[in-house]
Amino acid sequence: MSYEERANARPNLGDDSDVEEEALVNDYREQVNFDDGMSELDRTTSLGAGSQTQDLQAQLAAAATPLEYQATLETKFASYDNYCSLFHYILNSEGPVDLEVPSYYWAWDVIDEFIYQFESFCRYRNRVARSGSNEEEAQLLRENPNTWGCYSVLNVLYSLIQKSQINEQLAAMKRGEDPLAYAGEYGSRPLYKMLGYFSIIGLLRVHCLLGDFSLALKTLDDIEMNKKAMFARVMAAHFTTYYYVGFSYMMMRRYADAIRMFSHILVYVSRTKNFQKGGNSYDAIAKKNDQMYALIAICVALQPTRLDDTIHSALREKYGEQLHRLQQGGPEALPLFEELFRSACPKFISPTPPDFDNPALNVDPVDHYTGIFMDEIKNTIHNPTIRSYLKLYTTMDLKKLAGFLEVEPEKLRSWLLVNKQRSRQVRWVEGGLLEGEPAVANDLDYALESDLIHVSETKAGRRLVDWYLRNLARVY
Amino acid sequence: MVAAFDKCETRPANIDAILEGLDRYNPETTTIFQDYVAQQCEDRTFDCYANLALLKLYQFNPHLLQAETATNVLAKALTVFPSPAFSLCLALLPAYTQPFPSSNTDGQAAAQNNDFVESVQKLARLSTLLESAQYAQFWSTLNSDDLYADLVADVAGFEELVRIRIAFEVGKAFREISTDILEQWLDLRNRDALEKFVSEVCSWQVDQAAGVVRVPTNKENEARSEVKSERVGIDMFGRVIRRGFEQAA
Repeated sequence: MSYEERANARPNLGDDSDVEEEALVNDYREQVNFDDGMSELDRTTSLGAGSQTQDLQAQLAAAATPLEYQATLETKFASYDNYCSLFHYILNSEGPVDLEVPSYYWAWDVIDEFIYQFESFCRYRNRVARSGSNEEEAQLLRENPNTWGCYSVLNVLYSLIQKSQINEQLAAMKRGEDPLAYAGEYGSRPLYKMLGYFSIIGLLRVHCLLGDFSLALKTLDDIEMNKKAMFARVMAAHFTTYYYVGFSYMMMRRYADAIRMFSHILVYVSRTKNFQKGGNSYDAIAKKNDQMYALIAICVALQPTRLDDTIHSALREKYGEQLHRLQQGGPEALPLFEELFRSACPKFISPTPPDFDNPALNVDPVDHYTGIFMDEIKNTIHNPTIRSYLKLYTTMDLKKLAGFLEVEPEKLRSWLLVNKQRSRQVRWVEGGLLEGEPAVANDLDYALESDLIHVSETKAGRRLVDWYLRNLARVY
Repeated sequence: MVAAFDKCETRPANIDAILEGLDRYNPETTTIFQDYVAQQCEDRTFDCYANLALLKLYQFNPHLLQAETATNVLAKALTVFPSPAFSLCLALLPAYTQPFPSSNTDGQAAAQNNDFVESVQKLARLSTLLESAQYAQFWSTLNSDDLYADLVADVAGFEELVRIRIAFEVGKAFREISTDILEQWLDLRNRDALEKFVSEVCSWQVDQAAGVVRVPTNKENEARSEVKSERVGIDMFGRVIRRGFEQAA
């Protein structure tokens, strides 16, 4: 069965109307020359910070600057201390502090780099324990179990969120009220507000790295996922948010929602590509971009969906042959699923210090999550085969079909049940990201009367009104 | 309308308060969550979101891990298949448990040294059988080893709960199913027991002469072909109508 045939199954997804497209372009134009909200950060003057200023400026800059790739453990420890003292100063001074921050996206860069260093430190520590080769470093890590501890990292993020009362502010905005009324002494200042806001995105990422996918989605309860959201103003933040939300949905087996998230951001990126080239985050974005195409290929294989044209052609360009193999299903496709998952999943971490004395006990967390994901893939790997055969018939004898597929009837019964179960899926309609309604995710349905399979198909009727309106818009 | 993933009708207010606040990270709440798991095992309720919070506490404080409670959480998650609940629980367990060992040697080596690892791997095996709808193998595996019986012993009515889930899934896909197959899938080897379960719990009819069980039509098993027609709303014409006025002016 070709991709197009399946694609017709769900015409309502990825139907970007002209209106939305226009809004997107306007929105981006706004983004390039925007001068509100965020730029207030630039104007904040430091009053009375006096002698501390020099020192602080160095700290502020350091907090947003990536460590060198070859940084030693000492540097990593020092960087952790730098973050601790900086956040301590911001959070525990008497009253809110007045800081002159280097740029409007500084808050994002700080949180992003903070979590990145946490992530890479945990992975490094795990690797040292696993290989058991560098006794000196192992000893140093053993003696400092609390450096980059999960509790201190979460503590920073939650404290920034609470201090800025950002959740209360966002909830007020949702209700259409003035957020300032809920902001308090700290949250009314751009520095705290932005740090608080990006800490929510940071939490989403940390929860996801630790394998808590439902809590990751829950964290975003007060944030509205649309192009008007604050995160959309910093490209990297926008991107990161959709990647982790999409990934969490995927791990919760809500593939339709995952596809919705990935398509949204990929369309956005493809339309704004020319603007970002040359930016220093371009490489990172390009890499994440490819990862999301890999994830969307996995999701589409698990749940045939009609994609936006832009995404569809890009997907074929990048993963054409692989996508075809994924969509064929069958045990031969398993290694490919695993390969794509490994290349595109977040760098999972273990939050606690590893067991330095038993290297074998320290399994790479990525292996752990890959194993869990692949179990579900193995269980459902025959779905594409089932679907492609049943599409051809209105009634079919189970034993005959089992003969075609060269399996025992008993096995086929299980496959039919699995396919039926997986075609029911929770899909988001409104409210928090964890909410949703059960929906039939497939155009093909069937029921068994003993060994007789009755197949039915939901067809989309011709969209005449839509067709006329589109053509009318072109000429009139 | 189904409840959102983070909600649970049977959840007491004090648990709700902990989950909403930062106390969910407080190691001192571990015992409260553990008691709540015990309560769920007893009264046959299930609160995935709260149980995940307990597993997260274990993840952050490995010394608090109570192997028995953790395996009870997994056993409870088995009773709600097909659902991502079980795999979400596994995701918060330490990686050394290797629930689905890639090579047999690795996993077995780890399992031999550690009872907890062995338990997790055994439960994961059961989960795979349920999620892939191999119900007959599920029962034979469950009955093959006393260790399995121990693992699910704390969950009141485990077999009954799983049986009801299986029947529910069968009811969605079948209009009629042979009693022989159903017998194996539900592990009710005695014809009387099967008939009793099918008619009392599921309200299905047994046709003894034909040797089949008939499932009344429901939304899921009718499999009706339909043509989804286009949704036409007044808002779609906005642009055309606006154009009309612009031309006039």
